[in-house]
Amino acid sequence: MTRRPTSSLAACVWIPLFPLRCEEARHEGLATYPTALLAPDTTRKLWQVSSLARHAGVKPGMTVSQAIGLCHTLRLIEPDPVHYDEHFASLLSALNEVSPVVESAELGLAYVGTDGLEGIFGKPQKIIDAIRQTVGPSDRPTVRLGFGLGKFTAWVAASRAKPGEAIIVPLGAEKAFLASQPISVLPLDSATHRRLRQLAIRTLGALAALPEEAVTAQFGAMGRRLWRLAAGYIAEPVEGRIAPEPIVAALTFFTPVGERELLAHALDQLIARALKHPRRIGWRVHAVRLRADLESGGEDQRDGRSTTCRAPTNQRSWLITALLKDPTAAGARIAAPLKTRLEQSPPTGAVERLVLEFTAFAPGTSELQLFARDAQAAARACQQRALQSAAREIRMRVKRANLYHVIEVQPWSRLPERRYALIDYEP
Amino acid sequence: MVAPARAPLRTDRLRAVNEPQPVAVELSADGSPAAVGRIGGSEDGKIESINETWRIDDEWWRQTISRLYFEAMLEGGKRVVLFQDLITGNWFMQKP
Repeated sequence: MTRRPTSSLAACVWIPLFPLRCEEARHEGLATYPTALLAPDTTRKLWQVSSLARHAGVKPGMTVSQAIGLCHTLRLIEPDPVHYDEHFASLLSALNEVSPVVESAELGLAYVGTDGLEGIFGKPQKIIDAIRQTVGPSDRPTVRLGFGLGKFTAWVAASRAKPGEAIIVPLGAEKAFLASQPISVLPLDSATHRRLRQLAIRTLGALAALPEEAVTAQFGAMGRRLWRLAAGYIAEPVEGRIAPEPIVAALTFFTPVGERELLAHALDQLIARALKHPRRIGWRVHAVRLRADLESGGEDQRDGRSTTCRAPTNQRSWLITALLKDPTAAGARIAAPLKTRLEQSPPTGAVERLVLEFTAFAPGTSELQLFARDAQAAARACQQRALQSAAREIRMRVKRANLYHVIEVQPWSRLPERRYALIDYEP
Repeated sequence: MVAPARAPLRTDRLRAVNEPQPVAVELSADGSPAAVGRIGGSEDGKIESINETWRIDDEWWRQTISRLYFEAMLEGGKRVVLFQDLITGNWFMQKP
């Protein structure tokens, strides 16, 4: 089994409030308004809140009515998880240009393994500069970068960096750097955080100064891990991902097929089968190839003349490839360019065997894997496309968008008209 | 610049659901509604029975809302909810 590539030196790339930043990037001027993203689930609560909205008292988790009560100029945005995933996948692909070892942690947070990169770029500052260059211009002002030994040190450095800047922790200086950091940088729940503060432990140094056994006795195995992180004893390496081998799905017809509709149908089936392949989990398809073995035999079917006197002909075949601009796990989007090519340059004979290959992949985020882990992935992306298509059709027919979302405003109100409201829905 | 795929949703674009619709109401001798018709529309019908009555007094700290609700059955079996705004005296219909 192939080992995953790892790197002990890590650069952390963090874009806080990544989904909100994606929205600001595609809606000009949005950053100048107090803004909130609605939660992707059906609770209709706020998910992410801009700093302007925060200043008005709006917080994540609030209901729409609470938020509106605090900030009348608040702009609410429907979430578009597929777009955020695609944007993050392109960021990960760009980071792969700098280092082959890239690990995605969550939307907007990734680690780049930098072992050996000093031979290419030079000092850590140069490596950080190279990473910054791969980040898109819209994300550059908000990205925070950290560099150090192990993921935790790199993460703490990034979390302490100012927007658009980087903190580099030199090798051997990890303990001193971590000692002055607040305990909030540790991966702990609010109850543990409160307990530590009640014990007057406010920095990693204060935690690390306690005996390891005492912390373990108080907080269990999690406490032991927190202590070791705070003391700089844990330096988890960045774990890159190995791109999967090509995934192949094939179909042999009982009788050679020439009808394009039938071939298109067979193509849909092959794509669905290949998408379900376990190796595809967590990956988006970037390049795809469709080939066909064409009907052959001793005779040339095109002119009907006997070819028995000729030299044996090679097996005839047909091949098309497509590079997807946006890597995807949605069957319809993979099929679209192939079907276009199938129409434009169809096979020159009847097809005996049709073979589909996914030949290149783009990594996804952990959130993406929630979508992509199974058919739910493709289903969600397809549902979004179908909604967009339906909305376009409605707009064309009635000249205005008549789609709305029903949101809870004051569901407890005794006045029926106060309970729910409609907001424009533009998928 | 490419137009954004989705416009941001502003709170001033929120539309209330189930807004009260003004109606004309004919009262019986005891002051309860006897017939209802939509404003500018056709007669909805005579009221066969009043099933339930309740009153809502709310938002006295802002702009007082005071309503007397009637859940009524029209001739033909249609169920409607009417209320009289006790501040203005106007009648409205609202989905139950």
